Amino acid sequence: MRRNQGCNPIEHVMARRQFLAGSAAGAVGLGVLATPTQAVHLKHQQKRILQIFLQGGVSQLESWDPKPGTVHGGPFQAIPTSVPGIHISELLPHIAQRMHLLSIVRSINIKINDHELGRQFMEKGRRVGEFPYVGAVASKYLARPDSELPGYIHISSRGLTDAAGGAAFLGAKHGQLKLEGVKPPSNLEVPTGLEATVDAGRDQLRLQFNRRFGERRSKALTEAYDASFQQAAKLMSRKAIFDGTASKKDLERYGTHDFGRYCLLARTLLENDATCVKVTHHGYDSHAENFNFHLEQLGEFDKPFCMLLDDLKDRGLLESTLIVIHSEFGRTPKINVRYGRDHWGTAWSIAIGGCGIQPGAVIGKTNDTGTEVTEREVDAGHLFHTYLQAVGLDSSTDHDLSGRSIPMGDPAAQPIKELLA
Amino acid sequence: MIQENVEKEKSEETVVDFNAIDASQTHQIAEFKYDVPLTTLRTDPTGRFAAAGAEDLAVQLWDLDSGQRRTLNAHKSWVRSIDFSSDGNRIFTACWGGNINVWDTGQDQPTPLLTIQAHRGAARFVRVSPDGTQLATCGNDLLVKVWNLADGKKVHEFCGHERHVYGVDFHPDGDHLVSQDLMGGTNVWDLKSGKRQRTVDASVMTGYDNKFAADMGGARDIQFKPDGRQWASAGITKVTNSFAGIQDPIIVLFDWETGKEVKQLKATDDNVKGIAWGVRFHPDNFIIGAIADRTGKGELWFYKPDEEKAFHTMKLPSAARGLDLLADNRRLAVAHADGHLRLYRMTAKPPAAEAPAEKTEAEKTG
Repeated sequence: MRRNQGCNPIEHVMARRQFLAGSAAGAVGLGVLATPTQAVHLKHQQKRILQIFLQGGVSQLESWDPKPGTVHGGPFQAIPTSVPGIHISELLPHIAQRMHLLSIVRSINIKINDHELGRQFMEKGRRVGEFPYVGAVASKYLARPDSELPGYIHISSRGLTDAAGGAAFLGAKHGQLKLEGVKPPSNLEVPTGLEATVDAGRDQLRLQFNRRFGERRSKALTEAYDASFQQAAKLMSRKAIFDGTASKKDLERYGTHDFGRYCLLARTLLENDATCVKVTHHGYDSHAENFNFHLEQLGEFDKPFCMLLDDLKDRGLLESTLIVIHSEFGRTPKINVRYGRDHWGTAWSIAIGGCGIQPGAVIGKTNDTGTEVTEREVDAGHLFHTYLQAVGLDSSTDHDLSGRSIPMGDPAAQPIKELLA
Repeated sequence: MIQENVEKEKSEETVVDFNAIDASQTHQIAEFKYDVPLTTLRTDPTGRFAAAGAEDLAVQLWDLDSGQRRTLNAHKSWVRSIDFSSDGNRIFTACWGGNINVWDTGQDQPTPLLTIQAHRGAARFVRVSPDGTQLATCGNDLLVKVWNLADGKKVHEFCGHERHVYGVDFHPDGDHLVSQDLMGGTNVWDLKSGKRQRTVDASVMTGYDNKFAADMGGARDIQFKPDGRQWASAGITKVTNSFAGIQDPIIVLFDWETGKEVKQLKATDDNVKGIAWGVRFHPDNFIIGAIADRTGKGELWFYKPDEEKAFHTMKLPSAARGLDLLADNRRLAVAHADGHLRLYRMTAKPPAAEAPAEKTEAEKTG
C-alpha cells in the first residue's frame, strides 16, 4: 500500500507529520527560531539513524535467537531480559537489561550467503541494481540543508568497498564519509603557512576550473569532486569534534578499546547534527572458534553500545534516532569441525529500536533448531521499508529526482508494520 | 582389560615384543561411538574409565573393560574439562556455564554429589590436587580458584589475569599452580602464601588477527611432567587467519625452575594448520601431542625432548579435541570431532591372528 499519493515533491518522501517537524527544524539553522528551548526541542525532532554493523555476520544463536541445549545451540545459555518472556544470549548481559528499548526481528531470510551481496542487500533493500544505501537516503531526505556535518558518516577500523559511498543516483554529496577510527580524515587541515585569504582564492580557482570543465562534460564528474570538497569544508569547520579527548568517566563507561571510542565519536556526531552515523565492529566471520570469538567480540560490543544507547536516551535523542544493529547475514546453525559457524542468510536476526519502533517486541520465529524461519519471514527489502517508515519517510513513494521515477523501497516488499510505533 | 601378555611373533629373523612401547608403531585398537562431536576427554588413573564432554549438555563415561557407556546429565552447557580422583571413584566436570560437578563413578546413573558455582562465565579447566583434597579451576571471570573437596568451599581466589583464563594445573609438589590465559599470560601461584609467586611469558601462544581485529590463543591443555621439572602447554601460534582456522598448532615446554620456554613442538608438515588440544608426558621420556587440523583431520605427534623434529607423526581420521594416557602407559585415548573416542596402542601391531583379544565389539557398541 502506498502512502501520500499526489503530494508535492518534498512531501512526496516525507510523512506529513514529520515533514512539518522537519521544516521547522530546518528553520532553526536559518535563525528563524531563536529561543534555545525551541531549538533544542526541534533538534530532538529531527530524525537520524545510528547503524551498528557487526561485520562478518554475527551469529544469531550467540546473540538474538539463542537455542541453548539444542543440537546446534552451542555452549552458551540464554538469559532473561528486561522484557518478560524475551531471552537473548548470555553474551549480551548489558543489552538484556535494556531490552525494553529495543526489538528483535528473528525471521530474516535473505537467501544470500555471500558477504558483499548480503551487505549490499541489507543496505539497499534490493538484491541487485544501483540503489542508495539507507544512510544515503537519510542524508538526502533527513539532513538539514544547513547541517554542519556530512549527512552520512561511517566509522570503521578498515575499509569496505562501497561504490559511490552508497549514494548511487542520489549524488556523491550523500555518499558516506568514511572515518578510519576516531581520526579526522587525512588532509583536513589547511597546509601550514597557507593564509585563509589565499586558501579562499585557491578554492575559487578550483570552482572556476570546475565550471569550465563541467561545460563540456557530464555534471556528475564534477559533482563528486565538489561534494568531497564540501564534506571536507564542513568537517574542517567542526574539527573540534575530533580534537576533543574523551573524559575519564566516558572511557570508564565505554572502554578504551577502538569500538568504545567509535561509539563515543558516534555520540558526538549524532549530538552535532549528523544524520546517519554507521559504526562498524569487525570480527564476526567465525568459520573457526566461533564461540571464543563471539565471547570476545560481543563482550567488546555489548557494554559500549549500551552506554551509547543510555546516553542517547538520557539526552532525549533516542526517540528521534533509529537504531539498527545488523550484519550482512547470520551464521549456520550447524557447527563445523573447527568449532566454527559458516555463512547463513536463511534464518537470522537483527535488533532495532529508537525512533518510530515499537520497543520490546519480537518479530518472527525460527524452528527449534534454528534451521528455518517458521513465522513472519522477512528479508532486507522489508527491513529497508521499515527503517525509512520509522524515521518518517514514505518508502513506498518515488525518489525526489527530476524526470526519473525510482521507488525508494522495493515495490515488492513492505514495511513490518507491527514493528512500527 | 586388554591382555597384557607378552605376545611374540617368532619368525626366522625377528622376535617382536608386542607389549614393548614403540610410539612409532602406534595404531588404533578400539573406538567408542557417540552421536555428538566430543569436546574433551580424561581417563581415570586406575585405567577403568574414560570420560568425554561433547557438543551437548552431557558427559559420557565409558567403562573400558565392558565398553558400557553411562551418561551424566546435570550441566546446562557444554563440558569443557574433566578430571578424576586418583582412585577413579570421583569425576570432576567443568562447563561453559561456570559450574563444577562432582560425580560418583560407582553409581549406575550418576547424579552430582556436589555442584560448585565456580565461575561467572565459563569454567574452562578443572584439575584435582596431587593429594586429592582440592580442586583448581579457572575461567572467564579472569580468576583462578581452589576448592576444598570435602565441603566444596573456596580456599583460594587468585586474580591477576587480564583475559580469560584457559588452563590451570597443580605442580606435583601440591604447593603451586600454573595458569595460562588467552594472551599467554602465565602465572605461578603459591598455595602456601596465597599469592602470585611469579609470571611467565607464553605470549608465543597467542596472536592478533589483524583482519578481524581479535585475539586468539590460550592453553587448550596444560600438564606438568610427573617429576615437576617442566610443564607443557598446548595451543596455537603464528596466527594468519584464525577466523578460518589458519594458525599453527604448537606445544610449548617450560622449565619450572627458570620459567623459561624450553622447547616448541610444531607440525612436521607446514600445511597443518589448527590447534593443539592435548599434551602428555610419557614416562619413557617422550611427549605426545594431539592436534585438530582445520581440514577436520587430526594428528598425533611424538617428540623426544632433545630432538628438533617429531620422531613420529600419526594421521588421525578426525580432529583431536582431547588426549590422555592410560594407566598402562601403552594406550592413548583421544576424543574426536566425529563423536568417537578412540584408543590407540603405542606398540607393534600384532598380526590379526595373534592379536590380543581386545573387546572392540563390546566397546564399539558401548
